[in-house]
Amino acid sequence: MTAEAGGDGGGRAVLGELRLILARITGDDELLGLAAEMPLFGDGVGLDSLTGTLLLREVQRQFGVDVAAEDLNLDSLATLGTLAAFIAAPR
Amino acid sequence: MIKCVIWDIDNTLLDGIYLESGQQRPGVDPELAGVLGELAGRGIVHALASKNPPEAADYVARTTRLDFAAAECGWGRKSDAVRRIIGDLGIAPDAVAFVDDDLFERAEVAAAIPEVMVLAPEDAAEAASWPEFSPPVVTDEARRRGAMYAQRRRRQEEARAFAGSRDEFLRHAGTWVRVGPAGPADLPRLHELSVRTHQFNSGAEPVSEAVLGELLASPRHQVIAVRLSDRFGDDGIVGAAVAETGEAAETGEAAETGEAAGTGESASWSVPVLMMSCRALGRGVIDALLAWLCQRAARAGAAELRVPCLVTERNVPLRIALTGAGFRAGAGARDSDEAAGAGGAPQAVFTRRLSGKLPVLPDWAAGRAPEPPGSAEAEPGSADAEPGSSVTGEPA
Repeated sequence: MTAEAGGDGGGRAVLGELRLILARITGDDELLGLAAEMPLFGDGVGLDSLTGTLLLREVQRQFGVDVAAEDLNLDSLATLGTLAAFIAAPR
Repeated sequence: MIKCVIWDIDNTLLDGIYLESGQQRPGVDPELAGVLGELAGRGIVHALASKNPPEAADYVARTTRLDFAAAECGWGRKSDAVRRIIGDLGIAPDAVAFVDDDLFERAEVAAAIPEVMVLAPEDAAEAASWPEFSPPVVTDEARRRGAMYAQRRRRQEEARAFAGSRDEFLRHAGTWVRVGPAGPADLPRLHELSVRTHQFNSGAEPVSEAVLGELLASPRHQVIAVRLSDRFGDDGIVGAAVAETGEAAETGEAAETGEAAGTGESASWSVPVLMMSCRALGRGVIDALLAWLCQRAARAGAAELRVPCLVTERNVPLRIALTGAGFRAGAGARDSDEAAGAGGAPQAVFTRRLSGKLPVLPDWAAGRAPEPPGSAEAEPGSADAEPGSSVTGEPA
């Protein structure tokens, strides 16, 4: 299942939180300005298993959403926007 | 199996109390000094938890000439110190023993973390002969484990003080990941990895040395080892994989992994064994291994690479690495009960098409060979390294 990239207010607030988390995890402050459509893996943010695990742990702590359990394929980790939409989606 | 012993200092490791001894510091209890060395030789790491200033830990390390993987000095609860050490080392609580002369401290730790084995100093010597303290296989990596944790501490301290990003630090540290064929001398370590790894292990069952030996001899399989070092030290073999390169052949040898023989799809490589030590987390090892597998499989003409993987809470880091390398779990794989592992955990087959852009080794991971301190002696198994065993090298 793929999270839809939503642009509602809740999603936007989540986006800001996610940027803060990413910048803290990677030590790269430029991620504070990360575009929502930027891929989290590969040439985008360059997320790896460590930063990815830390990110999901923080997401679970701050938003109470267990992404790894709900999204087997981790498709929600495609971009910042898909992750924010996944977190903000009603459940 | 106990992987780490956390020691109190005053009246436990030391014959006296550090702060009350004035100029003449107390010596290390001779019997426990022997136990420390014996256990370290079996790959069990030591840590300190003491109500003392940090200098006490330095003093004990100097006096015993041992590497302590972690040291928690302070005046808080001992159970909190034990918890921090467990978290820091990434060790399960039931793999930890705690030794303290103080009955109250032992009771406090036992009540707070019941999984931890709690011992009085007078029992520690005898406990060394218990099966929990006697791993069946002691590899070179195991013997150096204490030193590696000490290196890791120095690496982490320097990383914290480093001004750049994590990638810049890994480059700065001279991180060097080497992927290549495993040799017979590597099999005990590969077996050990299959027993000890969980966060980065695609399966559930340990793979025996005998099975690994058969896979090594099998023309349809490649057994791959990953070595890691940087200028802080040499971690030896930290990861491994078995690739089934076969042409949809019946592969009885691989039956233990639960991987069924192919269904006529000849252009696919399968990876029945994939594992990495969590000690290597965040240093590019799993990414390098997946990149290597993709590149090798593509060169051999395979159209896709398949990684059967249990779906558990513990191996989320591995699933993130697979996703990051472009793998996707097969639809409906969750429902196939016959593919479930021993623990009943659902299994998915993560598949990656090998067309288009393949994952590559992070540029910092292929750094120049660092000069780890005291690396004059040859690394065991290095004779098996071939030209081109590095990800960036020429195909073998």
